[in-house]
Amino acid sequence: MPSFSHFFQTLIDTKDVFLKAMLLTLQLTVVSILIGIIIGLFFALLKISKIKILEYISDAYVYLVRGTPLIVQIFILYFGISGIFLLPDFWAASLALALHNGAYISEIFRGAIQAVDNGQMEAGRSLGMTKSLTLRRIILPQAFRRALPPLGNQFIIGLKDSSLAAFISMNELFNVATTLGSNNFDEMTYLLIVAVYYLVLVALLTFIVSRFERRLALSDR
Amino acid sequence: MVANMGLNRKILLIFSMIMICFLSACAEKDKLADGSELINKDEFVFAASGEFKPFSYMNDDLTMSGFDIEVGKALAEEMGLKPVPKRIKFKGIVEGVKTGRADAAVASHTINSQRSKHVSFTTPYYYSGPQIFTRPDSEIKTTDDLAGKEVAVAKGSTYAEIASEYTDKVKTYDSDVTALQALSTGRHDAVITDFVTGKNAAKEGFDIKEQQLIERSEQAIVLPQDNPNLLKRVNEALEQLRQDGTLSRISMEYFGEDITKKPE
Repeated sequence: MPSFSHFFQTLIDTKDVFLKAMLLTLQLTVVSILIGIIIGLFFALLKISKIKILEYISDAYVYLVRGTPLIVQIFILYFGISGIFLLPDFWAASLALALHNGAYISEIFRGAIQAVDNGQMEAGRSLGMTKSLTLRRIILPQAFRRALPPLGNQFIIGLKDSSLAAFISMNELFNVATTLGSNNFDEMTYLLIVAVYYLVLVALLTFIVSRFERRLALSDR
Repeated sequence: MVANMGLNRKILLIFSMIMICFLSACAEKDKLADGSELINKDEFVFAASGEFKPFSYMNDDLTMSGFDIEVGKALAEEMGLKPVPKRIKFKGIVEGVKTGRADAAVASHTINSQRSKHVSFTTPYYYSGPQIFTRPDSEIKTTDDLAGKEVAVAKGSTYAEIASEYTDKVKTYDSDVTALQALSTGRHDAVITDFVTGKNAAKEGFDIKEQQLIERSEQAIVLPQDNPNLLKRVNEALEQLRQDGTLSRISMEYFGEDITKKPE
């Protein structure tokens, strides 16, 4: 184990290159989560549409994504589809992460939507609202509140999964840590440093999600 | 539940708009006047692993250095293009060149028939050869001594095939340097790698000794097969660098000897 003073000295000395890497990790995470939410919502709605063919499409997507390792998906997007069009490195990584997150998020949304009491839809309908209006105004807001805690969980997983982009040579946190570690024959110090950066990011993410939860909980009172 | 479709349609619209953004963000290769194709028309994007010191390695600020990188840069300048070194893990480089992740690879690829099926090679830009490396106290001297011994090599390198000709116990590592490091710390019986890489590692303080030089090999730049005009252009630039002594100069700088001339 490295000494404390060596660890802190290295932490300070390498801050420029690590902060740059952290920015890339953040970009990968934010982009993939935002697109993941849209994909997730889309497939959750397909799943509850009660139209058989759309349900099958949603099932197939969730099965394909959950049934294959993320690293395989990243490599397929990085190498595989560039025969058709060339996806820039950043988009290959973030799209793979987004598709991956999207499958799990769609299951979170589906669970949350189905957990909203049936009476809510009936009440909306009896007030003369259309089904889609009831869904938008009554069901989805309630579902979203229920979905937040598992969503926050998924965001944290997504953040840490972004480290797999190292394998397609993105200079994000994990790749920088292993590169500098092997350059300086000092892997352990750099792994501990990168752990600190991830902990800070996860703390930030947890804080943001909990603020959201508190705001949405106001209507419970 | 047909009423849902109104909402679904809107989301579908947003979704497809995002997809269109993606599609427009990804460019086709640029076609040049002489028929060669480049990812960006004024850049020469060349791949190297960054894990093959002193041929290619990463600096602490994540820029790349090394013999291969210098050759790539000299080539780009010779062709009037901006050099853009790109780091790709060695085992992914051939695939990366095939699929357009890089215009070429200046990554110490040994010319062999298996690779020639998938990519094109330029003329050799340096000559090397796989050599056996052991710990100083080892009994292994030649390939005959390797039978039944554990040999470590880099993943995706030609050395894995060579090693398997002499022993059934072949271990693969992510890079040659990791393999040598493992050897130096007491793991495995031998490593087969490029003689320059091994010699350099020994110079850097690895506890290893050079043994038999197994064969001579030719290293060349890798290009996709569907880009013959770029191959021609790179070959011309390479010949120019050979003639004006640039290649020899870079070699002297890194190795103190000229490895770019064909050995007699």
